[in-house]
Amino acid sequence: MAERRKFKKRFCKYCELKIDIIDYKDLGVLKYSLSERFKIMPRRLTGNCKRHQELVTIAIKRARQTALIPYIVDRKNVVENPFENVR
Amino acid sequence: MTCYETLFVVKPTLTEEEIAAQITKVKDVLAKEGAELVGTHDMGMRKLAYTVDKHARGYYTVLFYKAAGATIEELERNIKNNEDIIKFLTVKYSKNKEIAQFDKLVANANKKVAPEAKAAEVTEVPDVTEAPEA
Ligand SMILES: [Zn+2]
Repeated sequence: MAERRKFKKRFCKYCELKIDIIDYKDLGVLKYSLSERFKIMPRRLTGNCKRHQELVTIAIKRARQTALIPYIVDRKNVVENPFENVR
Repeated sequence: MTCYETLFVVKPTLTEEEIAAQITKVKDVLAKEGAELVGTHDMGMRKLAYTVDKHARGYYTVLFYKAAGATIEELERNIKNNEDIIKFLTVKYSKNKEIAQFDKLVANANKKVAPEAKAAEVTEVPDVTEAPEA
C-alpha cells in the first residue's frame, strides 16, 4: 500500500522543479525516474509529462553509458549502496 | 563553433600525477585542434556502477568547450587509442535551451574551481547533487 501511494500523485516532478534540460551527470534528478533496480520507470507510474520523460530517458541512458548508474541489477551485480554517490 | 561537453574516465590504477597528465593530454588535443576550453568539472575518483575492464573505480573529468565538428573526430580518435581512458562520452549542445544549460553548467564548473584546488583529496564527491536547485 505504501508503495502504491508513492505514485498516487500524478504530476511531473520535473515540471514542478522547473527543470528545463536534464543533465545526465545529475543523478539526484534522474533518481525520480529510476526503480530500485535502476530500470526506467514508466510514465504511468511516475506521472512525468511526455517531454520530460523523453529527456530523462536520454539522460539515464547516457548515465548508464558512462558507468554513473548500472544497466542492470541482479544477484550477480548487486549494488550495495546504490545512491552512495548521490545523496 | 558548437558547444560540446566530453566526459572521460581515467584508470584508477594510475598515480595522481599520471591522472593529471592524462587530463592535460586530452586538453592538449583540444588546444591543438583550436577548440576553446571554457570549463572543467573535476568529478574526482568515483565508484563505477559496473566494472569496466575489471576496474571498479575511475577518475571522472568533464571538459566543456567550443569547437568545430571535426575536432570531435580527432579527439575521440585520440581517446580511443589511449588505453588509460576507460570510458568517454561527448554531448553536443545545439538548441537554444541546451546552450543556456551549457552556460549554466560551465558557470557551475567554474564556480567549483575555487574549492577544486584544495579538493585534491577526492574521497567525497558531494557537489554532484548541488546542481538541481539552480
Ligand atoms: Zn514535465
